[in-house]
Amino acid sequence: MARVSQQMTRGAYALWVMVFFLIVFGVVAALYYTTRKVDYVWRWYRVPQYFLYKEKVEVRAEIQGRVQEILRSEENALIRVQGDGETGQYTVPAKDLRVDVGDAVYPGDVLGVFQRWKVGILMQGLWLTLKVSLISILLGIGIGLIAGLARISSNPALKWSAVTYVEIIRGSPLLVQIFIWYFVLGTVINTLLAKNGMEQLPPIWYGVASLAFFCGAYVAEIVRAGIQSIHRGQMEAARSLGMSYPQAMRHVILPQALRRILPPLAGQFISLIKDSSLLGIIAIRELTKATREVVTTSLQPFELWFMCALLYLVLTFGLSMFVQYLERRTAVS
Amino acid sequence: MITVDNVSKTFHAPHEVKALQNVSCRVAKGEVVVIIGPSGSGKSTLLRCLNRLEHADTGHIYIDGVDILDRKTNINKVRAEVGMVFQSFNLFPHKTVLENVTLAQKVVRKRSEKEAVAKAMALLQKVGIPDKASVYPDRLSGGQQQRVAIARALAMDPKVMLFDEPTSALDPEMIGEVLDVMKALAREGMTMIVVTHEMGFAREVADRVIFMDQGCIVEEGTPEHFFTNPTHSRTKLFLSQIL
Ligand SMILES: Nc1ncnc2c1ncn2[C@@H]1O[C@H](COP(=O)(O)OP(=O)(O)OP(=O)(O)O)[C@@H](O)[C@H]1O
Ligand SMILES: [Mg+2]
Repeated sequence: MARVSQQMTRGAYALWVMVFFLIVFGVVAALYYTTRKVDYVWRWYRVPQYFLYKEKVEVRAEIQGRVQEILRSEENALIRVQGDGETGQYTVPAKDLRVDVGDAVYPGDVLGVFQRWKVGILMQGLWLTLKVSLISILLGIGIGLIAGLARISSNPALKWSAVTYVEIIRGSPLLVQIFIWYFVLGTVINTLLAKNGMEQLPPIWYGVASLAFFCGAYVAEIVRAGIQSIHRGQMEAARSLGMSYPQAMRHVILPQALRRILPPLAGQFISLIKDSSLLGIIAIRELTKATREVVTTSLQPFELWFMCALLYLVLTFGLSMFVQYLERRTAVS
Repeated sequence: MITVDNVSKTFHAPHEVKALQNVSCRVAKGEVVVIIGPSGSGKSTLLRCLNRLEHADTGHIYIDGVDILDRKTNINKVRAEVGMVFQSFNLFPHKTVLENVTLAQKVVRKRSEKEAVAKAMALLQKVGIPDKASVYPDRLSGGQQQRVAIARALAMDPKVMLFDEPTSALDPEMIGEVLDVMKALAREGMTMIVVTHEMGFAREVADRVIFMDQGCIVEEGTPEHFFTNPTHSRTKLFLSQIL
């Protein structure tokens, strides 16, 4: 392959670049054509409202009475309603006023209307996915670091605990683990909490826990491999200077291991972001679940699923850029 | 200063090797002892037992009166007093030369940054590379790296320095610069135990030479004794091969 591209002339290279774009264009066009064949109508303009939309708020009277006075300021108007022994005050934008002084109003009558921006369900889902992933990654790093260090310890209690943990997590599907966290551990914990008169934990806690422990097992293996890839002479040099094991780990081994484990860690974190899409099944409205809900109401599944995939791509791409930046920063000299 | 009393060490993996068999020796303060012997004779193992990088199976080792094999001994404290220089340098590649020399001073000796840097610069001056302080080790030649490693060990103000074939990994033209540093150290009265194949160094600097073979000390004596009329046939054979 490499040799072929070396022999290629500039013209041929440009040609094949064009072929690439033709392929991309062809795939998109074919997709569009076939969807038209099944009478699918593309309505991309309907998508933005699920990120951000204008909500119409109607201000309604709560009491029966008569509009006593309207105090106008630059933008807002204060409506005072006088009822039978009770008064009500309502603020509405001055230009959307629906009543006049002296009007009789009944409970439920619209006094004024105003609009405000609201964050759409897709945006909420995206934010939740980001939040859940970041918290799980941070917890996963902590768990993985501890488990990884335990894994290389000579103490059998630590070592075997770490091995058991890693093997159990890596040997079973994440979906099953999420069910166990939510339906088994969650039920037990929430029942115990309820018995002691405390508030129950929301599903997101169990979702984060399942992801963090899942991620932690893989991080542990990455950390172990990273530490073991450092030549043992480094540890011996540090110890022979009088450093304790933790000091040698902290100042000599881990900083060197970190550089080697960053790339595999990045891969792990990218999988974690994608795996968070499973959390929808325990009623956490992350990006995938949010998309499903929007699809059922909007009936524009094609646009929305593509949008959903694109948003995951933005998250994972952003993360890998960030890790590349870290790699460059930790690179020696 | 150092007393090794009946020390034995057996490795079990990958197969059983009696690396040290009832080894006893003493090193006085200010003495320079050179250990020679064929490959696999247990020279490194003996050296590594002295700062407990290897744990001797039986016997006793006293350094400055401290029984280092005693469970109650704080081994980190002992190791800070015993400098060690490795064949493969083992500098910390993620730290600059200066940081290599200051790290343990700050972490173990709890010196301030200023103190540690002053000490490090003085030592780098002494080993002849003060101009490389801010460089990373991979930019140095082997000889320079080994001199930094010596400075790093000296920064802890050790009472003894252990050298395990400090010039074996070096190109011939760099051996001299490292040996010069070691000679200077010996002249200052540092207690040193040196495993080496540099017979010139042994002849010139050593107060005593120890010949090891198959985990035992076969013969020990002054350099003159060794290089003029060794007693044991194994010593003669080894010297005839190496000289
Ligand atoms: N960590 C270890 N595990 C198993 N066997 C070992 C270990 N270290 C050393 N040995 C064995 O112990 C014996 C003595 O080794 P040692 O390194 O002390 O020899 P040496 O005299 O330093 O040799 P060289 O000149 O090659 O460095 C050798 O047979 C070696 O294979
Ligand atoms: Mg050796």
